Formats: sequence, C-alpha cells, structure tokens
Amino acid sequence: MSAIAFSRSHGERTGFIRRLASQEALLAVAVLALALAVGADNPRFLATRNLADVLLGNAYVGVAAIGMSMVIISGNIDISVGALIGVLATISGSLAVAGAPIVVAWLAPIVVGVAVMTLQGFVIAYLRIPAIVVTLGMMSILKGGLISVTGGRWISDLPDSFHLADIELFDVLPMPVVIMVVATALAAFWMRYSASGRAIYATGGNAEAARLCGVSPPRTVVMVFALHGFFAAIAALLFATELKVIQSTVPPNLELTIITAAVVGGVSILGGVGTVIGSTLAAILIAEIASALVFINVSPYWIHAVQGTLILITVVADIIRRRRRKAGG
Amino acid sequence: MNAKLMTTVASAIFAMTLASTGARAAERWDGADDLPVNPLACEAGGAAAAAAKPYDGGQPTNAPDKVGKPITIVDVPKLIGIGYFNATSKGIQDAAKELGNVKATTDGPTEAKIDEQIKFIDNYITRGVDGILFAANDPVAIAPVLKKALSKGIHVVGYDANSSPDAREWFVNQAEFNGIAKSMIDSMAKEAGEDKSFAIVTSTFTTPNQARWIAEMWAYANKCHPKLKWLETVEAQEDNVLSFNQATTLINKYGDKLSGLFGMTSVATPASAEAVTKAKLCGKVAVVGLATPNAMKPYVNADCVKSVVLWNPVDLGYAATYVMRAVVDGKLKPGATSVDAGKLGKLNVVNGSEILLGSPFIFDKSNIKNFDF
Amino acid sequence: MAALAANLRSVAPRWLGRHETLLGAILVVSLLILGGFNERFLTIDNLLNQGRLMTEVGLIALPMTFVIITGGIDLSVGSIVGLCAILLGYSWKNWGFPLPAAIVFAVAVGGLAGFANGLLITRVKVPPLIMTIATLALYRGLAEGVSQAHSVRGYPEWFFFVGQGQWLGVPTQLWILVAAIAVSGVALDRTTFGRALYAIGANETAARFSGLPVDRIKLIVYSLSGLMAGLSAYVLVSRVTTTRSDMGIGYELDVIAAVVLGGTSIFGGLGTIWGTVIGLVMIQLLKNGLALTGVKGDATIVVIGTVLIASTLIASSLQRRREYGG
Repeated sequence: MSAIAFSRSHGERTGFIRRLASQEALLAVAVLALALAVGADNPRFLATRNLADVLLGNAYVGVAAIGMSMVIISGNIDISVGALIGVLATISGSLAVAGAPIVVAWLAPIVVGVAVMTLQGFVIAYLRIPAIVVTLGMMSILKGGLISVTGGRWISDLPDSFHLADIELFDVLPMPVVIMVVATALAAFWMRYSASGRAIYATGGNAEAARLCGVSPPRTVVMVFALHGFFAAIAALLFATELKVIQSTVPPNLELTIITAAVVGGVSILGGVGTVIGSTLAAILIAEIASALVFINVSPYWIHAVQGTLILITVVADIIRRRRRKAGG
Repeated sequence: MNAKLMTTVASAIFAMTLASTGARAAERWDGADDLPVNPLACEAGGAAAAAAKPYDGGQPTNAPDKVGKPITIVDVPKLIGIGYFNATSKGIQDAAKELGNVKATTDGPTEAKIDEQIKFIDNYITRGVDGILFAANDPVAIAPVLKKALSKGIHVVGYDANSSPDAREWFVNQAEFNGIAKSMIDSMAKEAGEDKSFAIVTSTFTTPNQARWIAEMWAYANKCHPKLKWLETVEAQEDNVLSFNQATTLINKYGDKLSGLFGMTSVATPASAEAVTKAKLCGKVAVVGLATPNAMKPYVNADCVKSVVLWNPVDLGYAATYVMRAVVDGKLKPGATSVDAGKLGKLNVVNGSEILLGSPFIFDKSNIKNFDF
Repeated sequence: MAALAANLRSVAPRWLGRHETLLGAILVVSLLILGGFNERFLTIDNLLNQGRLMTEVGLIALPMTFVIITGGIDLSVGSIVGLCAILLGYSWKNWGFPLPAAIVFAVAVGGLAGFANGLLITRVKVPPLIMTIATLALYRGLAEGVSQAHSVRGYPEWFFFVGQGQWLGVPTQLWILVAAIAVSGVALDRTTFGRALYAIGANETAARFSGLPVDRIKLIVYSLSGLMAGLSAYVLVSRVTTTRSDMGIGYELDVIAAVVLGGTSIFGGLGTIWGTVIGLVMIQLLKNGLALTGVKGDATIVVIGTVLIASTLIASSLQRRREYGG
C-alpha cells in the first residue's frame, strides 16, 4: 500500500492537475450526456423544475461529500456521517421548536458536528486507532443514542423562518444549491492553493514524506475531520429544513451514498488524490441517475443493479484512462 | 488487455441487467405480492361476510396457569423508534395500566430486519416471559422462533403484521387487507376521477403488509374501477427525504397525466403531500394514503389532502394486550367468536384465529382535529 | 508507512498474544458480570443457541480476516448473502433445480461473485473498497431484480436440518462454523498460504519482488469471501425458512466489527483467526447478555459501539507501550 502511495506522489505536478481536471470533465460530460439522452426520451426531464428538484433534493449529499472527500484524501474514512447528520438535524429542529432563536438552531449543529468530528479525528490521529473502527463505533453510538433520546418522535410545527432551504437568493436561486456551489468552490480553491489544503494531499499520499516536508500528519487529520464535521452540519441543516417535519432517525444508507459520491468523484480511496469538484459532480450524477431511472421506465426492481453497474463503469473508465495517460507518457 | 477484460465483464453485467428489465411481468402492479387476492364487493359498506373458518392458530405446551395472576409480557415490534410503533406501544401500556396485573415492555431492533427481530424474541424466550406480542417483519421467517416460544409454554399474540397462523395463538388484525384496499381505491376514484392515472410510493417491495395491500388494491381496482390507470410504483424506504424526492420525480415525469399519488406508509404519505404542495398542484394531484393524523394535519387543513386512511394504532396495541390477558385467563379459547377488549367493547373473531379491530377509519377535515397520535 | 508496518510486524507475535489474552480477559470478566445479573445467561442451552445465531456472520468473518490481512476489504458480503439466498430459492422453485443442486448452485454463485470482485481488484486494480461498494449495490440489485422482490417459501422439512437441527446435542451449523474456524485458523497459522497473506498485507511490493503470486492469492481470498457468504446464505435460509432479497443487509458492518475487534489491523499485515473468533463471540454474547439483563436494543448498540472503540484503544495503547519499552 505504501509503495503505491509512493509511486503516486512521483507524478509531476502539472500532470497531476491535468489528470484531475479531466476526471471532473468526464463527470461533467456524463452529467450532460445523461440529461440529454433521457431528455430525448422524455423532454420533461429537462424541464427547469425537474432539474432544480434533482439538485435541491440532493444538495445535502453534495455538501457532505465535500468533507468526505477531504477525509478520504487524507487517507481515512468515515462511516458515522449519516448517523451524525440524523443527530444534527434532530438537534437543530428540536431547538427551533423549543423556541430558541433561529440563529441558535442553525449554529448549534455546526458546533456539535465540529466537536464530534474533531474528537474522532483526535482519536484517529493521535491515539492511532483506524478510522474505520472509530467511525463504525461512533455510528452505533449515535444511532442508538438518537433512538434512546427521541424514541423516533417526529419534529413538526417548525417555525417558517427555520426553513433555510426555502430561501431563494435574488428570488431565483434556491439556497441549498447556492450553498452547495459556494462550498464546493471555496473548498476546491482552498485545497488547491493553500498550504494547509495541500497538506491534506501530502498526508494521504505519503505521511512519512509529508512529515519530512514539515507537515504534521496528525494535526492535518484532526483539521480534516473538524472541517468534515462542519460540512456534515451544513448538510444536516439542508436536510432538516427541506421538509416540514424532521424524522429524528438516521437516514438509511446515507453514509454509503456520500462515500460513493466521493469515490466516484475521483477521490482515491488510498488517499492523496482527488478533488471536491469531482465529488460534487458525482453527487449530482448519482441523483440524476436515480431520477433518470424513474423517467426511462427501468423496472424499479432493477434500479440498484443499474446503479451499481454505472458506478463500476465510471470508476473503471477512470482507472483505465489514467493508466493510458501514464503509459502514453 | 486488462482493460479489454474489464470492459467485457462490465458490459456483460450491464447487458444482463438491462436485458432483464425488458421482461417485466406486467400482471400485477409492481410492489404487489403473488398471494391470492380477495377483493370486496364494489358497493359501499359491502363488508363481505367472511366464510367461517375453523381455528387455525397454534397452542402453547404446558403453559403455567396464571389465571388472574400478574404476568410479564414483552412487545417486539418490527422496529423501535418510529411514530407508528410508539403509538402501539402506548396502547399496550394503557391497557396494562388499566388491567393492573400485566407488566409490559417494548423492545426490538432499531431497523426492520428479520434477523434482528428473531434474535430479540429468542432472547426474551431465554429470559423468561409469560407472553410475547409481535408485529412480524416476515410472516414465515419469524415462525420458527415463535413456535419455540409456544413450545416453552409462552403465549404468543401478533398484531399489525401476521406470522403463519400456526406459529401464534391469535392475531389482532387492524383492518383486513381488502378493506384497506377498497377504502384507498374508492377514495382515489372519488378524488382524482374514475378514468385518471395514479402512481404509488411504497417502502420496499419486500415489506409484506405493503405488498399485500398493493395486491388487493390491484384486484379491487380491476374489479370495481377498471378505468383507473396505474402508472408505476416507486420504493422510498421509510425515509422522509427519499419519499419526497421520489414523489417529486413522479410529478415531474408525468406532468398533467398524473392525477393521484398513493402513499403506502405513514412516511410516504405526508412526504407525497409535501411534494404536491411544493409543486403547487394541490387539488390537481390527489394524495390518498395510510398515515397518522398528526403528520397529515397541515395538509388536510390546507385542503391539499382530502382523506387519510388508517386505524388507530393506539387502539391496536390496547386490543392486543387485552387479547393476551384473555388468552392467559382462559377467556379466549379456540372456537370463540368474540373477545372483550375493555373500552373497545367486543371484538369479533374472523378468519379462524384473527381478531378484527374494525373497519379502516377515514380521517378528513371534519374529524382529524379530534385525534392526537 | 512501510517502516511502521515492518516495525509492527517485528513485535507482532508477542503483541498479538497480548491482544488476544487481553480481549479474552475482557470477555471472561464481562461474561461473569452479566452472568451474575441473570442466571439464565451462562447456561449451556443459551450459549449453544447464541452459537446458532452467530454462525452466519461468523462464517463470513473468517475469510474477511484473510481479506483484511492482505490490506483489502469486502463490503459486498451482505449483498452476496442476499443474492445467493434468492438464487437458492429461485433456482429451486422457478427454474426447477432439485433442491440439493440449488444449494450447490447458490454457494457456487457466491464464489463467483467473490471471484468477480477479485478479478477487477487484481487485473484492473480497482481499489477493493470501491469495487465492493459498487458490487454492494450491484449484487443486491440483482437479488431484487431476479426475485422481483417476491419471497420463496415452502421448503421441505429436511432442508431445515442445517439451520434448525442439531447433531450430538449441538446446533448443526455450529459444527460447520467450528470446522471452518479450525481450517482457516490452521491455514493462516501453519501454511505458506497464510504467511503469504501477512507478507502481502505488510508490503505488497516486497511480496511481489520476493516472487509471491500476489494476484492469484488475492483472487483466491476474495473468491473465498464470496463462497463463505454463499454458505452463510444457505445456513440463514435454512434457519429462517424463507428467502427474501433483503437478507444479509448490513452484515458487512457486523463482520468487519468482529474482525477489527479481534485485533486484525485494517491496514493489513496483522491479525489472527483466533482474535476474530473472540471478537465475534464477544459481540454476540454482549448483545445477548445485555438483553437478558434488561438493557434495551437502542442502548445495546450504544454499548457495542463504545466497546469497539474502547477495546481497540486499550489494545493499541498496550501495543505502543511495548513498542516504546522494547
């Protein structure tokens, strides 16, 4: 494993960036091609409202995938994120219903999310417990804890002002989409051009080399998890404010969807490679596929099989493309 | 070379997947099971007189005599932590308090998994209880462990979702499948129109109750509303946001063609109503479904949803506890035709070993404010 | 990283002894405490029954230990269980296979599903996590598509022997599990195959240079993982008497929890079958003991999560002390 990471970090910087850019291009083309193909079959798919609904209903996955990408690029994984989003949405909604100022209801999940993830990052980085163990355990704790505390009571009668997702910027741009785009852009810019952003790649690519270059891998990992907590909290807010009720349970398989978005977006699970633009595009692609399958009348019994196949094809195509490029010089 | 190999494998899998999609068995609607159906008569109030059937439940071996004595019972629902089973659990506690000689606890898995539920029941058999109440995740899978309970002298009564009859003594049936199906389809035909098209949002295709209802709906619609057109069924787990997204996709896909949405779960129905509200199609797309009144109040009060079909889950838990007590006290024996269920009065025995809670209840704007669960 | 792995490797034998002893000690103590709370817990009957209930996850945990030792992971096992269960039922009921042939067919398809994972992982170099996330969706989807979400029931009485019967007073499937534990334990400890797994996990490039058939070994390991998931599906169907496409959902996390609790390093190169067995027994009996003591399901999973983190923490801090001390 370390050998693979080592050979990766050998790649020239320019080639590296070009490779990433084309991964994103591939996804963007896939998103467009799918839209056109399905649109040709059923023009309603291309209706502004449908495209907006696809983005709106899944923006939270895109936002959560930003943090997940950072975690994976740093050489870790997080299985607890779905449970955490459920917990944070419940905290936020409960506060809003209890009459707390809306700002408090929006800020509380961010504080809690960052705290929980920082704690996990600390255990992973400094106590050197594998991320999969820590986050698997945390998933159990959050899930069981949430049911113990809430008993699954629905939170309803949320104040209107709580619904962050209902706000439309300049009366046209829905807030969740704006947040997803802005968050992605900021994160991508920061990861590419700041020293601390590049430290994430260094840590995931080759921790030993990173250390020699003056990067502290443990500190970077804690930072990454703190950021991941922040993005998970934003995702939880979008999730909580989309509908009139909050279920106060853990959304089934959400962590898997988020991890899938990150890896399909070109984030190497071995760490060190990938961008958050890719993961956001992948989140859009996955949501688009789910919607498209309904539009083109694929029997719903086969939907999971088709989704799995498409993920496989995307990833394999990417691997082959990278290998060709490498072989070609 | 490797690349070629991979492409072949991937495309083979893909082709296999797609090829099979062509061959859809278009007989029943998607999401329906393949068990026999028994649609009710088309006229209103035509509750078909069920043919008398001999008792077909199981019996415990050497159950200790606890007539009138305090008993400990456990309630193992499909899963804990959802509103519906919180309500049944409340009913169980209410009845236990009223009876005074029943100590009841509710415990179960946090996800509706057949495996986990079996382990919970198994643990309670080992721990030793006088009675088990259950709502099965799968009627057949749960049977062996329930039979084991019977063999250890533990009384077994089901509610909400049945097991094979011989694995429990009695089953408290909230409303018969064909009765629910009739209410749903009649409401849809009335609200959307006789010759309109509709789609269904369900939990998963493998959830037995939902599959049963869809099958009965299919049968009843064919018999009594043949022009009503089914478009498709989508899965949405028991997940709020997913249900909303799926309903929205259906609305966007069919546009004017879609005149109605069925919600098959207490999660899917409010989410479908929300999707219709957000699409500003209230009054154009009818939402009919199973749901709890509290979740539906906003939509019913806003005139976006006209009728919600359900039984009272609190009553269901309450009745199950009374049935358990009656069984232990020897008041409900095979061959009985009714049982006394406290404030609910006398409940009738149907289908051999089932106790019917009543007809499904339809909540509308006039009565929904009277219910709080 | 390589240096770290090598370092771990050099202290491995001593430390592993410590880790398992420690875990075993925690297990015994918690069992005695739980046994003190409820006299029905530490009875032969209950323990044998728990053995019956943990067999399906246990059968998959053994090859998963191999997979993780090589530095890989297999998240598709739960979906393979679903696919094999469905194929067992469908090949028998709808395609007219005799039931014994259907069983063999289903288990073989499990092996094939694992082989497909291994093939793309070794030939195309798809990272195991991504490969098996994709097949997690794909295999489950095939199960749903083939069955059209209908269940298969009505198996003959003899079919239930494995899942519900017993032999010499011990549940039938427990014999299978014990045999599988013995075989895989010996294979890992005493054979060149086992040593090759550690070598690949510790440093794959070095293993390649020293002439080990790395790809072939990985292919075997993933196929084995699928095969055992197929076997597990057979045991499960026989125990619960029905076949549904949602069988085995979430098994992957139960299995991985047992393996990592047993001290197998997720980074590869470290771990034993005995550790996995202790981890497996610990989770199962803890759940059972807590339930018998009156702890509810939601609180139980909180405890399990805490135990998973805490015991790994204790084991790793002990390991570090040894590292610095020696």
